[in-house]
Amino acid sequence: MSAPQSSGSWRRILGSLTLALLLEQLPWSGWALVLRPDFLLIGVLFWALHQPARISFGSAFLAGLLADFQNGGVLGQHAMAYVVGVYLVLFLRLRLLQFDPLRQAAQLLPLFLLVQLLLLLIGWLAAHPPSDLSVMLPVASNTVMWLALVGVLRLWHGKGMQDRA
Amino acid sequence: MATSNQLMFARQLGATARLLIWLLVGMACVVADSRYHALEGLRSGFSLLLQPVRETLRVPADVATEIVGFFTRHRLLQNERDALREERARLWASVNAAREISRENAELRALLQLQARPGQQLVHAAMVYRGHDWFAQQMTLDQGADAKLRSGLPVVDASGLVGQLSRVYAGSSEVTLVSSPSQLTPVFIERTGQRGLVAGSGRGYLELKYMPGNTDVRVNDRLLTSGIDRVYPAGIPVARVTRVTHSQSGPYLRVACVPLAGLDRSRAVLVLRADPPAIQKPLPPKDKQP
Repeated sequence: MSAPQSSGSWRRILGSLTLALLLEQLPWSGWALVLRPDFLLIGVLFWALHQPARISFGSAFLAGLLADFQNGGVLGQHAMAYVVGVYLVLFLRLRLLQFDPLRQAAQLLPLFLLVQLLLLLIGWLAAHPPSDLSVMLPVASNTVMWLALVGVLRLWHGKGMQDRA
Repeated sequence: MATSNQLMFARQLGATARLLIWLLVGMACVVADSRYHALEGLRSGFSLLLQPVRETLRVPADVATEIVGFFTRHRLLQNERDALREERARLWASVNAAREISRENAELRALLQLQARPGQQLVHAAMVYRGHDWFAQQMTLDQGADAKLRSGLPVVDASGLVGQLSRVYAGSSEVTLVSSPSQLTPVFIERTGQRGLVAGSGRGYLELKYMPGNTDVRVNDRLLTSGIDRVYPAGIPVARVTRVTHSQSGPYLRVACVPLAGLDRSRAVLVLRADPPAIQKPLPPKDKQP
């Protein structure tokens, strides 16, 4: 195991997750709300991919409970879906770390799809049948958000230049 | 060889075992919350944590609205002022009529020895947050138990019924909207007086349930709360009928309605706070007193 890197310090992890939480607290409405990416999920999966010793199941569960609270649903719905997402990221971790942003996002698309399907299923069983399938729309926005995030981070750390050369 | 960082034997559970444990915890949470409502304390904790954040994050949007409002054209404001003056004059006329009627009503009720209707107070509240409406159509208000709100109170805006308070925290509360699939509202048709039940159908629409095939319902009929549930005061506008179809399979009509309140638009709402009806305690028997 490599020595603890400065890029994964607790301050950065907690800072980015707090930022994700703050972004979700903005007064989103209308189409922006329907298409809003799940910032918390993306943050948790990102750190589960890069710092699995620090962010994994427990943090994902807590983040999921927060997401449940802010959507007014049953507590445990997002929590279980996030935990499954983290498990899949840990399962695919070595593979994902080798990919460039585009392929990473393409690999994560089915993962996001599965997470939303789980949300749909648990909500269906615990509350009532969904009125429409807008619950599946964040799959696309999550994937695009992941692509943007990883792309920007690569450029930031100068790895994008190496890929192009 | 194993270094100090790299253990030869795993000291923690494998990922699959941890997944299963957390899934069990998650299922326990779902059951405890949906069956036994045992996690309300956790919810109020989250509410205490997030409410100040939400109110802070609303400030930029408010400032933007203020700035846009500052540059509204003068002529527009004058027109609006004229329209409001006209409306005020009209409303004053109806207020005077209503006062007369309410005085008469009080006298008649006293004559008939009916129980007086409980007085109502209005609490102004603003919408702070709205989550995804996949399974619960809710919005969060900035008033809570501090303003003596309690769950079950009706929430209205200028044009109609918005919903009902479902959870009340210290400084905030959650409204379940009338269009929420689990929400039932007793109504009557304004034109005919026929009573019925309106249920939310999600996606911001409503449905008038269990209307027999020969009921007189027409498009554009207004539905008002009937007040027989003792939750909503009678006569609050709820919805307008948009489509009436005869069902081929069932005995009932299919009546689709749109809510009259701006469920997506309105930022400022009113909570109707009526005091709970006083239950008359039986008088203590007098013969026990010395």
